Amino acid sequence: MANTKHLSEEELIEHYYGEDATAASAERHLKVCAKCAKDYSDLRRDLGGVKSPAPVARSQGYGEEVWESIRGSLQVYEGRRRSWLPPRLWRPLVWVTACALLVAGAFVAGRVWQRRQSPTATLASDSQARQRVVIWVLGDHLDRSERLLVELNHADGKDAAAALPIQSEARELLAANRLVRQSATESGDPALDAALDRLERLLVEVANQPNGLSEADLNRLRQEMNTDGLLFDVRVLRSRVMEQQPVAATELKGASI
Amino acid sequence: MEESDHTICRAVLAGDKDAFGALVVRHSQTVFRVAYRITGNDEDADEVVQETFLRGYQKLQSFEGRSSFTTWIYRIASNCALDLVGRRKSNAEDRIAEDHDPEQGGVQVADRKAGPDRLLLSREIDATQESAMRSLTAIERTAFVLRHMEDRSTEEIAAALNMAPNAAKQAVFRAVRKLRRQLAPLWANG
Repeated sequence: MANTKHLSEEELIEHYYGEDATAASAERHLKVCAKCAKDYSDLRRDLGGVKSPAPVARSQGYGEEVWESIRGSLQVYEGRRRSWLPPRLWRPLVWVTACALLVAGAFVAGRVWQRRQSPTATLASDSQARQRVVIWVLGDHLDRSERLLVELNHADGKDAAAALPIQSEARELLAANRLVRQSATESGDPALDAALDRLERLLVEVANQPNGLSEADLNRLRQEMNTDGLLFDVRVLRSRVMEQQPVAATELKGASI
Repeated sequence: MEESDHTICRAVLAGDKDAFGALVVRHSQTVFRVAYRITGNDEDADEVVQETFLRGYQKLQSFEGRSSFTTWIYRIASNCALDLVGRRKSNAEDRIAEDHDPEQGGVQVADRKAGPDRLLLSREIDATQESAMRSLTAIERTAFVLRHMEDRSTEEIAAALNMAPNAAKQAVFRAVRKLRRQLAPLWANG
């Protein structure tokens, strides 16, 4: 490669960033090949001109502000409790636990056997399966709601046609939101219930604007309904639900609904 | 003495939620910087910072301490910024057409050595560069920012973007090629 073949643009880029495996060889080639030297010089000029945008400086208290904004949304980890047992007692305890697990295993096996014999025993698992479906539906609903809120926050009121799909989506979400909210109320999750309540009020407003969404309507909705805050709440809830989804997906396989 | 990041992580996992605040305070400026470079504006960067630490807290159990907390949170920030740029991309595409026209830029930089025109030239370069950056896909943009502005290796970029190193390298190549194509008129008239 050193003196016989020209360096490709990719090789020159790798050389520029110091990631080429044969840097010395490339360097030698660049000294003797005028074409490659010219190409490399152009590349350096182009990339040298690409500046890093300087962000607007954040205040000293920025970190605290960020922390305060997310603190309320975080749940405390249960924590790994300090052991109350002296280390010498661990080995016997492990044996006792193993025996207990054996007994428990035998019990569970018995229950499974019994359930296979009796179809009515599947009622409990049906209820669990329904709960898992609720998690999936909720995840999908929050995902769609988040997208709607992002679109609403960035919608341009000057283009009336652009707002039509938002209203149409809001109408669909409104019906779904009522069902999801009912489930949330029954499950006794106040944070979810409150967020869905706010979402419902916003969806009603968006869906029922008779003359479409003008710029003034959009600004009023963003301010009065605090769509930024609602978007943040929805994101928090969605990421919480997303954590439950893999478990639900595993358990859902083979479940009878 | 200042507690190490790993010590704080252990405290958080042991139930001390507020300890996480120290990590947020310590790393928020770095996260903001990378978020700003990827998203290109402060509002989006602020949003990325919030989401990064939120995700970081929720995934803290998966942080095994083999890498530094900075690298780990940096990876999450890149991912969050990438997601956000991807979401914004469809809206931005409509606006790109109205932005700076590189052909016009070429005409305006003809007399680049003249003193007062240096400022104009600089503005033209900035505008062209901004427009060129916006023409990149979310992955290309993120890969390029991490490589060119944040000086991250291919392996680090691949880890941040959850892709194979070769795919990360190709993303950087594509980004460089696109940027050069868009910036070329500036030099052609210079």
